[in-house]
Amino acid sequence: MAAAALCWALRAARQVLPSSCPRQVRSYHVDWRMLRDVKRRKMAYEYADERLRINAIRKNSILPKELQEAADKEIAALPRDSCPVRIRNRCVLTSRPRGVKRRWRLSRIVFRHFADHAQMSGVQRAMW
Amino acid sequence: TSSVLSKDRDKSAASKDSTPEGAAKRQEDAAETPKQQLLDIIGSMKVEVSYRKKLQQLKASENKKQAQDKLEGPDSEGSVPRGITEDTQGGRPLNPELVKAASAVASSLPRNKKQTESELLAQLRRHEETTDQQRKGGTVNLRNVISEMTVKRRSPAQWAARKSGRISLQLDEDGQRMRPERSSAQSMDSRSLKVGKRLNIFTKASTEPEHALKTESSPTIWDLEFAKEVAAVTAQPPRNGFEEMIQWTKEGILWEFPIDNEVGMEDDAEFHEHIFLEKHLEGFPKEGPIRHFMELVICGLSKNPYLSVKQKVDHIEWFQKYFEEKKELLQEI
Repeated sequence: MAAAALCWALRAARQVLPSSCPRQVRSYHVDWRMLRDVKRRKMAYEYADERLRINAIRKNSILPKELQEAADKEIAALPRDSCPVRIRNRCVLTSRPRGVKRRWRLSRIVFRHFADHAQMSGVQRAMW
Repeated sequence: TSSVLSKDRDKSAASKDSTPEGAAKRQEDAAETPKQQLLDIIGSMKVEVSYRKKLQQLKASENKKQAQDKLEGPDSEGSVPRGITEDTQGGRPLNPELVKAASAVASSLPRNKKQTESELLAQLRRHEETTDQQRKGGTVNLRNVISEMTVKRRSPAQWAARKSGRISLQLDEDGQRMRPERSSAQSMDSRSLKVGKRLNIFTKASTEPEHALKTESSPTIWDLEFAKEVAAVTAQPPRNGFEEMIQWTKEGILWEFPIDNEVGMEDDAEFHEHIFLEKHLEGFPKEGPIRHFMELVICGLSKNPYLSVKQKVDHIEWFQKYFEEKKELLQEI
């Protein structure tokens, strides 16, 4: 009975929270470059549909060229950070831009560190 | 006392009374085993009491019969002796006070007095019968008693089942709705098969409306904090692997088994709404490159299994808006 009441209260809480005033969210990113990368990813997600549609107008041979030129101008007018090309797959733990394995999202140094301490499941030193 | 008992047996030969038979049995036992003299005394005492009452009633009935032969009195007088005769017919002497009370109740009720009185007396007799049987240690046939009773009373198990069945949607194993059966097929015990909340292990959980309805619009922050506190305090670390897995499932780390491939996907649309999207093309011109372009767009969308119908419709509507904005440009061409 008490558990059910608690569950109901927590569920209601999740609904209430979005409507309340914007809370201060404290998150930790390794450095500012990582933070900027996070912002770029968010923006790219927001503008993804629009970019797809405008590019569909641009990249076809059926529509008249004038229309395509107008679309070119439109897509150039979108904010710079909304394009997915600007996203860099950084290391999640150290924010290293280079030497990052996509499967683990870790830089080579961190990966080696964890693998040697046997904290990577299924990863073994190669020997053949 | 043996001669008295034999007389008693002769008089009550027709009746199905159990006490004189029991008394007779007891008397035989006492004769057989001299050790049971105390029991014999007790038994004889009981027999004497019942025998006295019986003699009284027999005398009363004889008197009343004589009175009836001489006079046919009014209903009030006739009802009382009739009640007593019915008692003797039943064979078990009822408490005369109870009989008087029954007659008074019957007279107070507006309906047929004689019928109600007879019913009440029959019920009293049945009560006495059941108490006698319980004293003897015989099996109480509850079913017969309940079926005989005119006042409809359902056993508490059935009542509880009815109450629970009224609110919840009772689904059979096939998933079809089934009315809660209250016939004799259901067992009369406190535990029965179709009573109680379903565990929904094999069928998909049906949405049951919550019993508790709170009229509050939204809980206050203090309530939420209190709830969080209580949850944190009462949350014990998992005692075994099962509890750990339960906790993970609640958090969302572990999937729910049996695995539902469509968790999170709530697409209620049929396949024809995904494929036949030409009806959304009404806002476009029927000829020209734009139409050609939009038909290609629709062809691509119909083959896309990842978008919902709403998303596809939004896609087409965005193009419609875009081309309307560019109408002047298009007309120059």
